[in-house]
Formats: sequence, structure tokens, C-alpha cells
Amino acid sequence: MISRRSNSKVSEKLVIYRVRVEGSDSFQCAKDDKTLLKHIEDHGIEVHYHCREGYCGACRTKLIQGEVEYITDPLAFIDDDEILPCCCKPTSDIHIKLY
Amino acid sequence: MKYTTFNQESNDTMTEPMFFGNPVNVARYDQQKHPIFEKLIEKQISFFWRPEEVDVSKDRMDFQKLSDAERHIFISNLKYQTLLDSIQGRSPNIAFLPIISIPELETWVETWSFFETIHSRSYTHILRNLFSNPSEIFDDIVVNEEIKKRASDISKYYDDLIFATQLWQTQGEGEHVVDGVTHSINMRQLKKLLYLCMNSVNALEAIRFYVSFACTFAFAERELMEGNSKIIRLIARDENIHLTSTQHVLNLWAKGKDDPEMAEIAAECHEEAKAIFMKAVEQEKEWAKYLFNSGSMLGLNEEILCQYVEYIANHRMAAIGMGQPFDIKSNPLPWMNNYLSSDNVQVAPQETEISSYLVGQIDSEVASDDFEAFEL
Ligand code: FES
Ligand SMILES: [Fe+2]
Ligand SMILES: [Fe+2]
Repeated sequence: MISRRSNSKVSEKLVIYRVRVEGSDSFQCAKDDKTLLKHIEDHGIEVHYHCREGYCGACRTKLIQGEVEYITDPLAFIDDDEILPCCCKPTSDIHIKLY
Repeated sequence: MKYTTFNQESNDTMTEPMFFGNPVNVARYDQQKHPIFEKLIEKQISFFWRPEEVDVSKDRMDFQKLSDAERHIFISNLKYQTLLDSIQGRSPNIAFLPIISIPELETWVETWSFFETIHSRSYTHILRNLFSNPSEIFDDIVVNEEIKKRASDISKYYDDLIFATQLWQTQGEGEHVVDGVTHSINMRQLKKLLYLCMNSVNALEAIRFYVSFACTFAFAERELMEGNSKIIRLIARDENIHLTSTQHVLNLWAKGKDDPEMAEIAAECHEEAKAIFMKAVEQEKEWAKYLFNSGSMLGLNEEILCQYVEYIANHRMAAIGMGQPFDIKSNPLPWMNNYLSSDNVQVAPQETEISSYLVGQIDSEVASDDFEAFEL
């Protein structure tokens, strides 16, 4: 985890996590409002999705290592070792595999 | 076991299986064996929409501009979708409600079917706008060979389950002769019929709409038939949640989180269930061929549509432990996602296509002076 102090008077901590996508690039993502899905897309990696709201299951992804937190209750079926990137954010460095 | 609409024996729904336990008595949701179904009910109801809220009048002019081949594609898809929703508007209720044993699943099935009836009504809304007399279109649904082929494949699994359930609920287990034919009814067989039926419904919700959806959205990409596209986006959103529900049921069984006998049946019938899915994939591809038999449409052809079906099927099949049988790895129609995502499906009052707005109506009916007579 990398933290740094911003220049503005109100000090903000910028938290960065590393996202490792199996068979593809790794990238760094800042802890912000964006979902994991958005971060993956912003790094030019093709990822399957439909609803972007946690109810269709199209974005189902294997979480090999790390932790995420949900911002919307995931309704689609996922296995114990799977996540829905459209409605979660990483809370640690993570290693994932897209289907 | 005889069906009763209000089982007088007190039973603990927390220990009931989803199907083939005791009939549900009190519709209570304070304790839930599988809370996911109530979450799906809430989500589905939050999607409530009325076909009449979507203005499709501009589509009539667009329709005149379409080539004959494109009209064939557009109308055939509506016919096929009408068939699918005719089946889905009644069958989950008739097949599943008599054998469901937990209230949250019972209410989910009723909610689900209700939304399918909204879909059916929306097709009439679309067709009435395009034709002064749409009855010809509807009449063709029961005589069109291409549609009939699909209808019998879908309704077969429902009908077999419904018939066996009726025999079991009126005569019990054993051998029963109906119209000279002997039927052997036992619980294992009933559960097997249920398992196959659920797989057939899952395949329907998973892929049977997607060739039609792709055509609709391909028209919309050319800014044609946009009222129709708006309705189909609302339908696609509902279908996604229906699919989620059947995936949950299948996975709860397969992972032994419900009736242990259903876990055995899931393992035993794995190949048969997979074959049901593969047949649905084949039929969707044949549908693409039929659609394009009198010419293609801009932006789509049979080959790319078939690739898209395979791409979708890979994901849907993997979600229920059937692996990814097709080679295709990347989405051949990436623009489809713009139409399938919830971000773009807001039925908001400020949008020009919306002629009325349910929630807006309710708000505006309460004027401030309505409250003046109240003394606090
Ligand atoms: S895109 Fe629908 S669950 Fe993630
Ligand atoms: Fe439907
Ligand atoms: Fe449906």
C-alpha cells in the first residue's frame, strides 16, 4: 500500500492497490469512487458485463487473492471464490481471473 | 400429496426444501430459508414499468423506411418474443407454484410471471402502433413452423412436469392409467422432471432472447425503431433478473444447499441438462438463419449473430457448472452492452419518449392546498 500526502491544505491520503489480472496486465488503482469493473475497463482490458448493478452475473470473476467490499448488494449468483466487479471495490491488492 | 391452498398443519419453512416439501401456508417473510429470493422480488418490483409509458409512435415512420428483409427480421423477432412471453407469463405459476414449499420462492415466482405479462402486453403496444390490424401477426404465431418448433421444445418440459404433478397430487405415487397409457409416478421421477424443466427455463431466460435483442439494438444503432428498442431494454433488464433466479435455484441444488436428493439428481442428469442448453443454442442459431433468409440487415449477419450466441452461452453455461463449450473468447458485438446495462434504462419523466410517468403522476396529484384543511 502506497500513501502520500497531497499538496492541498486539507490533507488527503491516496491509497493505491495493485490489481493483477490473470493472463493480462497488472495495474495500479487508486481507492476512489470507481468500481473495480470501471478500473479494469479504464486500463483497456475487455471485461464482460450487462447490468453494472450486481443482478445479472455477467461480470462474474474469480478472486484468486485479496479482498473486496461491495457498494451494492450482489444479487447474481457467485461462488465463494468469485466476485462481481461491477458493484465492488478492492480493499487490498488483488489477483483476479476474468472468465 | 393433495395440494392445499392453506396447509393447516403448522410447519417450519426454515426446514422445508424449495420444492416438493409441504405446501406453503402463511405468506411470511420474517424468516427465510433462501433470502436471495426476497431480494430478487424487491429488485424486480423496483423495475416496474408500463408499456404505455414508452412512446413508440415515431417507429411507424421508421418501419416504412425498412427494406422487406428488415421488416421480416423485425416482425419475426416480435412473434418469437411474443411466443416466449406467452409461455413465461403462465408456466412458472402453473408448473412451480403447486410444488413450492417456501414463501419467498412462491412470491418470487408470482412476481416473475407477472413481469412476463407486462412483456406480453408491450408487444401488443408495439404492434398496434405499426399496424391498424395486428391480428394477422398474432395469428401467425401458432402456424409459423419456425416458431412452433421452438414452442414445443420449451413447453414440453413444463407440460411433462405439470402432468406428473397433477397425477401425483390427485392419485399419489404409483402406476396410473390415463387414456390407456400407464404412467408411473414416484418422487424421484417428479424431481427429475422438475430438474430438467428448470434447466429448460434457465436456457430460455439465458439465451433464447438474445438473437432478437441483437437485431433490435442493431436497428437502434442506426437510430431506427428506437421506441421499440426502449421497450426491449426494459424487457432485457427483467430477463437478466429472471436468469439470476434460475441460476440460483440450479446452484442451490447442485451445491447441496437445499434438497440433498436434488444434488444427486443434478449430478445424475448433468449431461441431459447440458444437452437441453446446447439444443437451445442450436435453435437460436437456426433462428438467426431464418431471420436472414430473405436478406441481411446493416451491421448484422448470420455469422456474427451465431458467434454472439456462442459467446453469451459460454458465460451462461459456466455460471451453472457446464463449462465453456465454445471457442469464442471476446465479444463480437461489444455495442450490445450499452443496451444491456442498467445505466441507460432510466424511465425518467424528463425523457421525451415517455408520454406519462407513473411516479410523477402520483406526486403531482397531491397539491399543497390539499393539506390546508388539516388542523395540527
Ligand atoms: S454486470 Fe451485472 S452483475 Fe456485474
Ligand atoms: Fe419476458
Ligand atoms: Fe423472463
